[in-house]
Amino acid sequence: MLILEKIIDNINYIGAVALFVIGLRIVVTHSNLIKRIMGINIMGTGVFLFFVAIGNVTGGIPPIINNNQINPVYINPIPSVLILTGIVVVVSITVYSLSLVIRIYENYNTIDQTELSKLMSEEDNEH
Amino acid sequence: MNIEQLPIINLLLFLLMALVIPLLKRRPFKLTLILGFIVLGFVFVSSGYLLWYVNNIDIIHYTFGGHEARFGIEFIIDPFSALFTTIIAGLATIIYIYSSGDATEGIEKTEYGRYYVLLFILLMSMFGILYTNDLFNTYVFIEILSITTCAIISIKKKKDTYTAAFRYVMMNELGSLSYLFGVALIYMATGFTNITLIGETMQNAYALYPVNIIIALSFMIIGLGIKAAIFPFHIWLPDAHSAAPSTSSAILSAIVIKVYILVFVKVLFRVFNIDILNEMNISTILLVLAGVGMIMGSVFAIAQKDVKRMLGYSSVAQMGYILLGVGLLSFDGLRAAFFHILSHGLMKTALFLSVGEIIYYKKTRKVNDFDGMGFIMPVAMGVFSIAALGMIGIPLTSGFISKLNLGLAVLDHNQVIFLVILIISSLLNVIYYLPIIILAFLKNEKYRYRMKSIEDTPRTMIAPLILLGVLIIILGLFPNQVMILIEAAVNSIMS
Repeated sequence: MLILEKIIDNINYIGAVALFVIGLRIVVTHSNLIKRIMGINIMGTGVFLFFVAIGNVTGGIPPIINNNQINPVYINPIPSVLILTGIVVVVSITVYSLSLVIRIYENYNTIDQTELSKLMSEEDNEH
Repeated sequence: MNIEQLPIINLLLFLLMALVIPLLKRRPFKLTLILGFIVLGFVFVSSGYLLWYVNNIDIIHYTFGGHEARFGIEFIIDPFSALFTTIIAGLATIIYIYSSGDATEGIEKTEYGRYYVLLFILLMSMFGILYTNDLFNTYVFIEILSITTCAIISIKKKKDTYTAAFRYVMMNELGSLSYLFGVALIYMATGFTNITLIGETMQNAYALYPVNIIIALSFMIIGLGIKAAIFPFHIWLPDAHSAAPSTSSAILSAIVIKVYILVFVKVLFRVFNIDILNEMNISTILLVLAGVGMIMGSVFAIAQKDVKRMLGYSSVAQMGYILLGVGLLSFDGLRAAFFHILSHGLMKTALFLSVGEIIYYKKTRKVNDFDGMGFIMPVAMGVFSIAALGMIGIPLTSGFISKLNLGLAVLDHNQVIFLVILIISSLLNVIYYLPIIILAFLKNEKYRYRMKSIEDTPRTMIAPLILLGVLIIILGLFPNQVMILIEAAVNSIMS
């Protein structure tokens, strides 16, 4: 039962790590380029969830000064603020890599990594 | 003007320049080039002045918006960051002069402006990475750097650049997210993102939450290892560096991967202190990675037929040398590593630029087509030979001094096996550099003594090459002046 309690207590961290690992697996094993980009996004979400989870304080309220509260406990706002930047970064990376996929499709007519490598090695042999 | 604001002005100048270039689209392109040269020259002089200032007067701390360091972002200009920003500015100026000589091969005319926009944002982010004293801020600058490098690779409208850039973007993003995870774990254990404050509380945090710190360290080693092309994570480098235009290959190979290893040094020595690293035996892991990289990078390089791919693999081996110096976790090791960062930067720039000139005029990148090249393009091949001899480690070149220092540092730690690896790796360098020199200068009699066959190249392309060749030799003859600055940098990073 102790283990179960521990899992429930740390469910946010475990979820974050699980997302990270799922994303990593997609990036490494899938051959479809768009799925790989999705994998990067899932990995990013995992890290962001982890960051936000660190900032949480049990029973805390949003850090906005409110005179009606007596001795309020605030959650830590800094990780959430940092993550806003992180989200912007991952969005721009996604946009850039999707545009690359469009160019790859225009040139090779495929977005599958295994077919791509086959096409590229054929071209190399021609030269 | 306050001296504290000078580093910020450097960053802002780069950003402003990147903004101004699109506005000058309708004017003659020469105007953009001259303006960019003025900016780079100013930044080079000002970082040189900062280098003098921090070494002789005081270290500069700058906090943005006046927020104290634990809430805001802090820039630190110390001998370490000032030295490497000066080196970067100098190398970038040389490469810039070369690229203005119309050698941006493979890029369409309309894209020239965009190429320089990317170049200036790239420089801005590298300066930011070195100046900043905040782990999360470093992450943001790293992302700016990786997205601009990817864009600069894919700027040539050719098929293979897109796939190379895609692979690069995927690997890089794995690296950055691993690094960010490491930052998250450190923030969880210490509550800071400021490097100085983390460094002060690290001992406590390690006693309380050892698991956090160990996992954070491994994530950061892997993340920055991918970005710095340390051996098992190097697979993106040869494709990306050979697909890019020659001038940007020079920037990528000579500067960008070095910046990541400098972040790595900063993380190891300032965030985690040496006691913790020794306790976890990080040194052995890094040394093994370095040793394998030094051998395997050279072995792969021998098998390449394309000159630029060969140079790419040679970079992997050279990163092994630098990592070997860092992995010793000692004063001597770091000193040798820092010197090698400088000398490899000079040599790789010279190699890529001279090869770039040959590709530009002869439209060939095959190693076998180099016969007689020494008689057609004497300057390019001459500088190539000097740099290649430097890579091998022939005395009189800067490569010899860095290998000598590395060898001495390794012997100090009784790691004789790595001295053997160092020598084997140098011999492997001989196997792939020497045939090119022999082909170019000693074979194919038909070109000999025919001065007419010498290609005339623009002076803006020849001058940087000669400057690089001279610098390599000067650094090999008189290393002491630079060594003083490097020792100051090592002291500031280890204290």
